[in-house]
Parts: sequence; C-alpha cells; structure tokens
Amino acid sequence: MDLSVVDRSATLGTSTLHRVVPHAKLIATALLLAAVMVSANLLVVAAITTLLCATVVGLRLRWRPLLTLALYPGIFGALYAFAGGLGLLTAALIITKAVTSALVVLILMFTTPYPQVFAPLQRFLPAVIGDALLMTYRSLFLLLEKFSHTLTAARLRAGVVGVSPVRSAATITRTLGGVLLYSIDLSQRTHDIMHLRGYDGRLVITPLSSQSPASDRFVVTVAAALAVTAAGWRIWWPVLNPFAWLPLAVGVLILAATLLSRLPRRA
Amino acid sequence: MSHIHIPDGVLPLWLVALGWVLALGWTTVAVRFASAEDLRRRVPLIGAMAALMLVGMSSEIIPIAYHINLTVLAGILLGPWLSVVTALVVNVMLGLVGHGGATVIGLNTLVIAVEMTTGWLLFRTLTAVLGRRRCGLAAGVSTVVALALSTTLLVLIVAVGGSPAAARESGAFDPATLSFENPFSQGIATNVLLTAEEGPEPAALSVKRFATVVYALGSIGWVLEALITALIVGFVARVRPGLVFEGAPAQPSRAPLGDEGVHH
Repeated sequence: MDLSVVDRSATLGTSTLHRVVPHAKLIATALLLAAVMVSANLLVVAAITTLLCATVVGLRLRWRPLLTLALYPGIFGALYAFAGGLGLLTAALIITKAVTSALVVLILMFTTPYPQVFAPLQRFLPAVIGDALLMTYRSLFLLLEKFSHTLTAARLRAGVVGVSPVRSAATITRTLGGVLLYSIDLSQRTHDIMHLRGYDGRLVITPLSSQSPASDRFVVTVAAALAVTAAGWRIWWPVLNPFAWLPLAVGVLILAATLLSRLPRRA
Repeated sequence: MSHIHIPDGVLPLWLVALGWVLALGWTTVAVRFASAEDLRRRVPLIGAMAALMLVGMSSEIIPIAYHINLTVLAGILLGPWLSVVTALVVNVMLGLVGHGGATVIGLNTLVIAVEMTTGWLLFRTLTAVLGRRRCGLAAGVSTVVALALSTTLLVLIVAVGGSPAAARESGAFDPATLSFENPFSQGIATNVLLTAEEGPEPAALSVKRFATVVYALGSIGWVLEALITALIVGFVARVRPGLVFEGAPAQPSRAPLGDEGVHH
C-alpha cells in the first residue's frame, strides 16, 4: 500500500472531479457502493467497473497505482469465494464486487484531500473519533517514512539479500520496535504542539465551497442513475437478466471511446 | 487473517447493520468510560498507534497478503477502552483505501476490538502469573489466543451470514439465459410485470470448508504475529518498561510554555 500516491493525487490533482465539492462526491460514493451492493449479476457489476475505469482514464487520474490498490481486495475476495466452495460464477461476482467497491472508494480518495473527506464525517462521529482519524492520517506518513528508512538501514547493516522469511521477519521486528518508540515520542510532541496551539477537544476543518454547482449535480445524478438501474435490475432480474450483456456492452463502448480520445495524437 | 476481507454486498444487510450498531455502541461506551480530559490528551497517541498498526498491515512478511496487524501490541499499550476507539479508526482508514469493504467496517471493528481487548486482558493476567521477565512469552501466548478467538468470531460471522447475496435471491448471472433479441420487443411494462422465471440454482457456502482454509492459513499467521509481538514487547520492556507494564502514558496536562503562572 503506497498511500503517499493517494495523498499526492488528491492534493495536487486538477481534474474536473477534484473541483467537485466533497459532500457531493461522498453522496455519489455512497450511491455507487449501494449499486454494487444490491447487484447480484456479474455483468451488471462489470458494467459499473468499466464505467469507473472510463472515469479514471477520462480524468487522467494515476491509473496504475489506483488499479493496483483496487485489485488488492480481489485477492481476499477470491480467498473467501474459493474457501467457501462457491461456484465459479459466484466467485467471479464476489471478486468483481470487491474490486469495484474498492475502485469507487479509491476514486474518492484520489480526488479529495483527506481532511475534506473526514470533515463531513466529523458531524456524525464523536469528536475524539474525528480527531483521531486526522491524527492517524498525519502520523501514518511520518511513520511510513521512518519505517522505510529504518528498514533500509537495517537491511544494509544486516546484509539481508533475497527473500528469506525468517531473516525478513527478524529485520521487520527490530525495525517495528524502533518505530514503535518513535511513534510514542511523536505522539508526545504532537500533543505539546496541539496544546500550544490551543487544542480544546476538536480539530475544526472548514469544508470547501462549491466551484461548479453544475458539476456537483452531474456527479450525483450519474451516481443516482446507476444506483436506480442496479436496484431495478435486482427487482426485475427474471426479465432483465437475459439482456445483462447490454449494460456491459455500453460500458465497454464508453471505455473504448474514452481510451481512444486519450490517445496521443500525431502532429 | 483476523479481520474480514469480505467485499460489500456479500453479507446480508441485517448482519452488516447489526455490526455497525454493536461497534458504535461499544465505542460510545468506551468513550464514556475514558474521561474527556484523558481522551483529549491521548488523541495523538491513538493516532500514532492506529498509524503503527497500518504500517504493520502495509508491510507484507510473506508475499502475498500475509501481513502483521500489531493489534495485541496496541491493545497492551492502549488498554481496553482506547483499543475500541483505535479499532474503529483503523478500520475506517482501511475502508478508505479499499482494504476491506466500507460497509463491513462495523463487523471488522468488533473483530479487531475483541482481539485487542482479549490480548490486553491475557497479557495482564499472564505477566502477573509468569512475572515481568517472561513478558515476551506472555505477549506471544496472548497473541495466539486473541487471534484464534477473533478468527473464530470471523468464522461465526460468515456462518451466520450464510450464502452470499448472489445465491440467496437467485438474481445471479446465468449464461444459459442470455438473449441477444430486442429486449423491448414486447414493451417494457408487459415484460417486467408479467414475466416470472425461475433463476439458477443457488451456490451454497460451505462453512466447514471455509473454516478449514481460514484456520489452516490463519494459524501460520498467528505464529508469525505472536513471534513478532513477543520480540517487540521483549525489546520495549528492556528499553522502556513503563510502556509495557503500565501502558503508554497520557500526556501531562500542563500550561503552554511561558503560560505556567497563568490560571485559566
């Protein structure tokens, strides 16, 4: 999990979706997750996947790390499906659902700075949870960097070469011990800084205002349309299932058109 | 293996909702039991411990996907109430990077919170029995038992959830029924309202097979996690024993520099 890529993309990106107000993106994310949840047809879920891929390509988001992160839950989905002895089609559905729902959440995180994602959640959660989420995100990058540097130093000093699980585990253990002590010291320093700045039990984040209300409405409308389609498909599946190829075909066509439009043109 | 890597829409809605209710209820109780002042002072510590758990989860020991959780270690340092808050925070963060479904955050919080609190309780009991010199052994045993318990909870959740949604309502894709005719040849309303067909036979989840695979793969992970936790606890007990035996300290409530004489 290279989480710094997510943060860089969310902070420095300039796509249309970056300019959409965070609460509209959160509503759209919830609607798309609902669409994935209610869908029981593999081809319908695959259609949503292709549309999300078209969004990633169309907005020129960093597709390689995004898709790599999205594929990771597929491994665990496969483990669940095959361990449970489910059929091939059900297994494919579970894996596709895992990847698609991860894709939905990752598009949100790749286009929205994390404080803006947590800001609306803070309204519903106790103050301590909202603040702890922000502190976790901040500490995570510091600890990942420290862990990476210490691990490199430990490997160089220990002369670890190749993939030996025992030596690797021993090196990771020593490194984690050091990072643990560092994290305790880090939390003490952070507390002192927060205290100096007048922290009184809640970190206040000002939500971003809308730059383009039309874009906000468009994103929510498209997500709602997909959710309604998925819900309708779930209700009237006996009639609609024979034509399940149709939404997938539309999705593939949109993806192909997006890919073609993004090809570099010759002068 | 301890947390549920099950995607959204597989477990039944009532189970997902129950997970959220129980997790939020437990978190609310935890927040009430820890005093407001104590919580305010420990927010950076919760953040640091949650981040450390995420660092552990992001470093694979054996490719693919064998990662450590450091849940018991965090439980030992944070105690039972803050552990629950940390479990929720970690799962929200994992959900936001697609590692585990966003809707199963409630159930995952329950599983990890059980792991952390059990680990803390066992570690306290075992160090009282075995003595502080054997704290590494106590941490290792606590980790194995806590992970075994949380894995059993995971299997129980999957067993209670039953077969996946695709099978339950028989709305799954069936290649045999695919048709390339005009879907609207008889009009939309007639087709949708009057036609009813039997779906494909549902695929049933084999809980026994699932449990066998999870326990077989999980037990390797328990041993690895126990070894690593034992070594880290042993290391920390040598250099900062107060952290292990008394928990991580709350930051002292003191006035900002230069403000020492001012009473607010």
